[in-house]
Amino acid sequence: MELTHLWGILFISLHAMVPITLAAIGETIEESAGLFNIGLEGILLFGALAGALGAQASGSALVGLLTGMGVGALIGLVFGTISTSLRGSQLISGVGINLLALGFVALMLSVMGAPGFHSVAREVQVPLIPLGVGNLSPLVPITVAVAIGVWWLLRRTQLGIWIRAVGENPAAADVAGIRVNRVRLGAAVAAGVLAGLAGAYLSIDWFGAVTKEITAGRGFIALAIVVFSGLNPLLALLGGFIFGFFDGLATWVATYPGIKDIIPWQFVAMMPYVVTLAVVAGMIGRVRFPSALGVPYLRE
Amino acid sequence: MKTRSDSGPVLDKGDVLLEARGLSKGFPGVWEHLILDQLDFDVRSGEVHTLLGENGAGKTVIANILSGYYEKTEGEIRVKGKLVHFRSPREGLAHGIAMVHQELMLVPAFTVAENIMVGLDAPLFSYGIAGVEKRIQRLVERYGLQVDPKARVEDLSAGQQQRVEILKVLFHEPEVLLLDEPTSLLTPSEADQLFVVLRAMADDGKGIVFISHKMREVFAVSDRVTVLKLGKTQGTCQIAETNEDELTRRTFGETVPDYMERPEVAHEELALNTIEMVPSGLEKKPNSQGISLKIRCGEIMGLAGVSGNGQTELIEAVTGLVPPASGEVWILNADMTGRTPKEFIERGVAHIPERRREIGIVEQMHVAENVVLKDYRKTPFSKNTVLRHQQISSHAEKIVEKFNALVPDLWQTECRILSGGNIQRLILGRETWRKPPVIIASHPTEGLDAKAIRHTWELFLALRAEGSAVLLVSEDLDEIMSLSDRIAVMFEGKIMGIVDGKGADREILGHWMAGGTASAA
Ligand SMILES: Nc1ncnc2c1ncn2[C@@H]1O[C@H](COP(=O)(O)OP(=O)(O)OP(=O)(O)O)[C@@H](O)[C@H]1O
Ligand SMILES: [Mg+2]
Repeated sequence: MELTHLWGILFISLHAMVPITLAAIGETIEESAGLFNIGLEGILLFGALAGALGAQASGSALVGLLTGMGVGALIGLVFGTISTSLRGSQLISGVGINLLALGFVALMLSVMGAPGFHSVAREVQVPLIPLGVGNLSPLVPITVAVAIGVWWLLRRTQLGIWIRAVGENPAAADVAGIRVNRVRLGAAVAAGVLAGLAGAYLSIDWFGAVTKEITAGRGFIALAIVVFSGLNPLLALLGGFIFGFFDGLATWVATYPGIKDIIPWQFVAMMPYVVTLAVVAGMIGRVRFPSALGVPYLRE
Repeated sequence: MKTRSDSGPVLDKGDVLLEARGLSKGFPGVWEHLILDQLDFDVRSGEVHTLLGENGAGKTVIANILSGYYEKTEGEIRVKGKLVHFRSPREGLAHGIAMVHQELMLVPAFTVAENIMVGLDAPLFSYGIAGVEKRIQRLVERYGLQVDPKARVEDLSAGQQQRVEILKVLFHEPEVLLLDEPTSLLTPSEADQLFVVLRAMADDGKGIVFISHKMREVFAVSDRVTVLKLGKTQGTCQIAETNEDELTRRTFGETVPDYMERPEVAHEELALNTIEMVPSGLEKKPNSQGISLKIRCGEIMGLAGVSGNGQTELIEAVTGLVPPASGEVWILNADMTGRTPKEFIERGVAHIPERRREIGIVEQMHVAENVVLKDYRKTPFSKNTVLRHQQISSHAEKIVEKFNALVPDLWQTECRILSGGNIQRLILGRETWRKPPVIIASHPTEGLDAKAIRHTWELFLALRAEGSAVLLVSEDLDEIMSLSDRIAVMFEGKIMGIVDGKGADREILGHWMAGGTASAA
């Protein structure tokens, strides 16, 4: 194998790492605060569509990314409101987001032309950073920075103490003067922003198109990575990279002449999911989640 | 009122700081009657005002309303004459009112310092943990509430956690401090230290509301007392104008005996026997050694000691919750080492735990379900894996009645809304109705009022007469001395000595509890 292949795999891995890691880190913030949002997949899908539309309407990739984040924030806000002041079921609203996204995005795609597929013009895609050995998306270093930043936020700031306190013992936080629902709502919005960004990255950066299946279960993989990481953003980054690596490897194998004839690509495409499952299964029971995860807080 | 310090009080003594008029509280849909009924109450600068009342009288509810945790149904609350309406504890804190809750309000996974940081009003991205640790250290030194700021709260004993609660509230520098049974998990000397702190705060012009069942404490610290009975006041008076008997009668209608006479232990058979056992978690302590405790059938063994000296670990080992690091645990001539909690239960080991809300009951489950929590698999409560509602109801009803628990409905009431004392009554009922051969009781009367304490003691003696062995773990020396046939003292994971309960020398016990090695002879 030549060196360029290694670089190729590394770059694909890094690019595949971005969306799941961003979504997983958002979920980490949210779960630390005690909310459990299984609607990541849906937010990714909404973000992908919103990113594409925003980029095309404005002619700017940056605006596209911001649109994705804005839509994500909005969904986070709705989810957060349902799970806090409305005391609704987090499971059901999460499922709702996923179903709504599936239906809505499919509908929009068919309205916009070729059903199920919508490509994004190259001019409004996120420009890559040329590195000689390959081109890297600026979202890769941003993802690494986000992981480090969120780790710092959760473990080394007053806000992090508040976020974790409302997840562990909302009553204790409440009597200490913390506005529990407000902190949770904020965490839900932050999670929405990151998942929305991840979605926009899929459509206007990595793939350059929107399809119905663009997310390919990445939202669920992100949930699995949150379990793997035990709510540590740095481990989520590692988990994201492992998944990305197998994803990258699969893409490479599936397209590399000679190898693709020996190993069936379906098998290779399965790899990232199987590896994630195996790793998560190994971790379950060992990591510790906030005591009040998924439980709405009411005072009396 | 006590003498005032001349160190420049912030507030004028005697001014009313917090005042409630015509306060009522109902929980519609749960209780038909009002939980608080047209209540008047105030606390003045410079005083300790004690709220006294039996289990379920509404003491916690008043404190919760005054601190903003619950909303009132009716009535007026004024802070320094200004009408207020709190919708959250945050608003209470903003008006200088802080509360130490009856149940611990801590994050177990956080360190002591992190727990205190939760209440800090600091900028979002700051991280003042070093400063907090230093301030804790200063408070610890000043008030003698010994605790390590870097320790994880879940690793602390209940008594130490209680100290953290008090430290946490001191950080807010409140003007009015509400303490809901803050001494329940403190040793008598720690309680006395706390009273010195409270006195000092009162002398600084703060108003203290103190909730307790214990007469000794009421007389040690209060300026005024208000007696509460089923949500109504029975009047407020100066402590100097009343005495213990009168207060006890006004509160409970009867008094508690000091010593419980009983016949000699009649059996030789061992109910609980540990052989050179080192409970898990103690094996790393430098001083710990194997524990060999032998309790006969029909014997009450008191285990005295300051909390955090290995009692929790010992209990976990003899109830099967955590297998011991080494040594053996025998129950009624069967080696139970390494067996599961379920096997311990089936062997007849009852457990009245110290953290009752966490491991004593399932808070989100209903009263009837909690009552059969350990028996639902058995007849008559289930048949072919299907629960039998009727049987469970009548059984739960019997227990609720026998133990005088205040419970609105067996199948509608979630246990979390019950008062602390009422939860304890349910646990006592559930653990003892089968007359189990071994009862491991940790602070069994903590939070109970005098009447219920008396009933519990009588219950233990009755069970003893029928051959049950009781391991009674308590920090309350009075309780240990009046109930135990023999008393063991635990210090830093080892048993310092064992003496007969009758005529036990309080000084020797105290000496052992502090780690001394004087002999009992
Ligand atoms: N959130 C709630 N919903 C319904 N009922 C409640 C709630 N909180 C308290 N109660 C009821 O109000 C009554 C008074 O309770 P409270 O906790 O004030 O008693 P207490 O005087 O503090 O007793 P204890 O000495 O046992 O702590 C109890 O019967 C309790 O079940
Ligand atoms: Mg109470």
